[in-house]
Amino acid sequence: MQYDVIVIGSGPGGYICAIRCAQLGLKTAIIEKYKTLGGTCLNVGCIPSKALLDSSEHYYNASHTFAEHGIQLENLKVDLAQMIARKSEVVSQVCKGVEFLMKKNKIDVYQGLGSFVDKNTVKVTKEGGDIEMITSKNIVIATGSKPSSLPGVTIDKKRIITSTEALQLNEIPKHLIVIGAGVIGAELGSVYARIGAKVSFVEYASAMIPTMDATMGKELQRTVKKLGADFYFSHKVKTVENTGDEVIVTAENPKGELVTFTGDYCLMSVGRKPYTDGLALENAGLVADQRGKIEVDEHTLQTKVPNIYAIGDVIRGAMLAHKAEEEGVFVAETIVGQKPHINYLLIPNVVYTWPEVAGVGYTEDELKAKGIAYKTGSFPFKALGRARASMDIDGTVKVLAHKETDEILGAHIIGPRAADMIAEAVVAMEYRASAEDVSRMSHAHPTYTEAFKEACLAATGNRALNA
Amino acid sequence: MSQIEIKVPTVGESITEVTIGSWVKKDGESVKRDEVICSLDSDKASFDVVSEADGVLRVKAQEGDVLPIGGLICVIETSAEAASAPASTPAPVASAPAPVAAASVAPATAAKIVEMKVPTVGESVTEVTIASWNKKDGDTVQLDEVLCELESDKATFELPAEAAGVLRIVAEAGSTLSIGAVICKIEVGAGSAAASAPVAEAPQSNGQAVTANASNDSYAAGHPSPAAAKILAEKGINPASVAGSGVGGRLTKEDAIAAQPQTAPKPTPAEQPKAPVAAPAAPAPAPKAADARGQRRVKMTSLRKTIARRLVAVKNETAMLTTFNEVDMKPIMELRNKYKDKFKEKHGVGLGFMSFFTRACAVALQEFPVVNAFIDGDEVVYNDFSDISIAVSTERGLVVPVIRNAEKMTFSQIEKEIIRLAGLARDNKLTIDQMQGGTFTITNGGIFGSMLSTPIINAPQAAILGMHNIVERAVVVNGEIVIRPIMYVALSYDHRTIDGRDSVSFLVRVKQLLEDPTRLLLEV
Repeated sequence: MQYDVIVIGSGPGGYICAIRCAQLGLKTAIIEKYKTLGGTCLNVGCIPSKALLDSSEHYYNASHTFAEHGIQLENLKVDLAQMIARKSEVVSQVCKGVEFLMKKNKIDVYQGLGSFVDKNTVKVTKEGGDIEMITSKNIVIATGSKPSSLPGVTIDKKRIITSTEALQLNEIPKHLIVIGAGVIGAELGSVYARIGAKVSFVEYASAMIPTMDATMGKELQRTVKKLGADFYFSHKVKTVENTGDEVIVTAENPKGELVTFTGDYCLMSVGRKPYTDGLALENAGLVADQRGKIEVDEHTLQTKVPNIYAIGDVIRGAMLAHKAEEEGVFVAETIVGQKPHINYLLIPNVVYTWPEVAGVGYTEDELKAKGIAYKTGSFPFKALGRARASMDIDGTVKVLAHKETDEILGAHIIGPRAADMIAEAVVAMEYRASAEDVSRMSHAHPTYTEAFKEACLAATGNRALNA
Repeated sequence: MSQIEIKVPTVGESITEVTIGSWVKKDGESVKRDEVICSLDSDKASFDVVSEADGVLRVKAQEGDVLPIGGLICVIETSAEAASAPASTPAPVASAPAPVAAASVAPATAAKIVEMKVPTVGESVTEVTIASWNKKDGDTVQLDEVLCELESDKATFELPAEAAGVLRIVAEAGSTLSIGAVICKIEVGAGSAAASAPVAEAPQSNGQAVTANASNDSYAAGHPSPAAAKILAEKGINPASVAGSGVGGRLTKEDAIAAQPQTAPKPTPAEQPKAPVAAPAAPAPAPKAADARGQRRVKMTSLRKTIARRLVAVKNETAMLTTFNEVDMKPIMELRNKYKDKFKEKHGVGLGFMSFFTRACAVALQEFPVVNAFIDGDEVVYNDFSDISIAVSTERGLVVPVIRNAEKMTFSQIEKEIIRLAGLARDNKLTIDQMQGGTFTITNGGIFGSMLSTPIINAPQAAILGMHNIVERAVVVNGEIVIRPIMYVALSYDHRTIDGRDSVSFLVRVKQLLEDPTRLLLEV
């Protein structure tokens, strides 16, 4: 078959790209190695982890806050099998949704491993070994990423696990050792902490979620600590060993001494690496760089072979589903000659713990490093009526604005529904709004978003009304 | 103070001198940019000379003097004094103090002046036209900000600021400048002058305008919304050249939709105010009649003027004539029908007629090298390669990108190259290099429905092939009348170097190759 566009990989970047291509009248095919569409995000990433986060949050509230709300419960217990089953059902529904979207947009779905034959031809090797050749004017690589590990650590998927296995454990760990307190570690670590596991975070950096604004990491650590988690920062993991019933993690502490941690499960969450295995990039005249990434043109996302594009986790930038989606749309529109743009600074970062963490724009440290004069406005959720009513009083909103122009340069939120609230900051910043602009827009009462307005007021001139 | 010399412009190929007919303005009088200052007479026509800047006129040649092309007619002194001259004219009495203030502040604070000149843009380009200014006179510009768009007969390009400062425009949109001529000046370190300008204007207008100005000074002025940014990028418009109607001067989606690329030369500022006054008067008595016999005068673009000059020059300077033949397109059409799907599948491009014609010409050019040669002085330059120019019609006019080494290319390579070049031509992105150096041209009037025409050769090349429409005609084959798809082909050639035998044989050879494309494969 001859196509205008073949997309390899059906994650949020790939399938969105395919839909946009189809909308623009391009004859489009999508290739997926796994049985279900949707990639990491839908199958073993965002969607299932959020499903478990919500379940564990309900349990936590039932056991910790219901009594204060005036709800008495007896014999409360976690049915982990049901939790995992519900999660699987959610995943299955969302994946079917993507299948439907492919049909609706008349996108041909090829199930099998896609590999380049030349720059216009892709060989699809199906499960039974059948081979099909398809050709296309344009090819989009959207093969995503896989969990990465540390040198000297072998992931056995039994006790030494990645996020994929952590989403389908059949028992609650007694002591879960989480290596890496970044986004994935924080999310899954807090799931198991809330349903009763003892969780120890072992992190190489000196704080949680080190890529986000420093205030967020500190606040998050405070709330996760309330769940009974322990933190071992500036620890360098040396070995992880499965002894059958236990895992033993050996690490070097900041003093240079070796310390050991013993638990029943060890979650490796030290990040993800671009995934291009089996793609036979060399047949198309491409190579991945040392870290496995595919190099692309900053302005067009073209690889060095002009009819081949790459998007999402497999290229530079944050490994985020919504970043991949923007790039998917961008490439589709670029192929038909439109001139879309992506403002990478304004792609929000999100951590689905509870409270959630979200940030967009510059962090305070980045502004300092750049020498940009800024002012800060913060507002704590404990001063907000809506948060009081729901008992979600942990967290704060921090707005960074330009010292002279008052333009919002960064917004960082830890608190209830932070991931939803950050959208307001993105809209404001796309229009280069000032903190006072937001302060002068009506925010419904009582809502969590009032906290953003109050933080903007604080940034405008230290005049938050409810603080 | 600076002086602008006004010289006798090049007015036509054969005109070498002009006579000063009459002076409209007197020596020492202040003139405005684009105002007519004198008229010149040549042996063919008379025409007006307009001032290239605001300033004071210094006459250098008297009525009746005969001047060669390039001879000095007069000098315009542009300076603080000159700029204040409008104050002495009766009309804008109220605003008089303001420009004086602005003008006198500017030179005082300007630390350094950077002159920006027309850059060398290509070997054969000798002059450019200012298509449009993105910035206004007196605007503060940043380093590398695009100031204006320049247009040559071959391509358009942008002129980025060589320094940050206050822009002083020397040459207006629509004026034609030779390479090295001053386009504008940038007053470096004149930040305070820029700041003072709006202040000086303020007394002219009332309070509302001040508020508007203040909001446009917002740090976000000119910042496009995400949708506006995309629309402007697709239109090829620099957001800096669009006025934002959003809060603080932001560019809204509506602003972007309404924005027009400033390509057409704008009417001169002097004419603009007059037009609305005259217009209402005229339609009043008999609006319909006026409509019916309307006339429009549109200044020729630099590209159009050059095309005009070149075409006339070729007609005058070569011994051009045309030979014709007809091609039975049936074999090619059959071949194409048989393989077009496979070809597309394999190569990702359609199999068109152009690849056949390009191949056939490339082969024939190798066999008749004189058709592929051109005259240079007393010598004939023979080319061992066939760089075939393909005429492409665009909104701005005809352009002829070159397919290099067509003699070595396969059908699919030719088709891909044509698509690439035509795309660049449509997007106005062809570089001069991509249009220079062809050895032979193919033009296809058939796409517009032409049955037969005599194309003009693309100098300095010696010949051009004209393709035409394909029409089913009754022809005699083996003593029987049959219907065949026929295309008439025309070869215009320069008889100075190409004899009838060569030109006719060349065209017959092209016909042969097209009527039996297998020959292209076997090279027989």
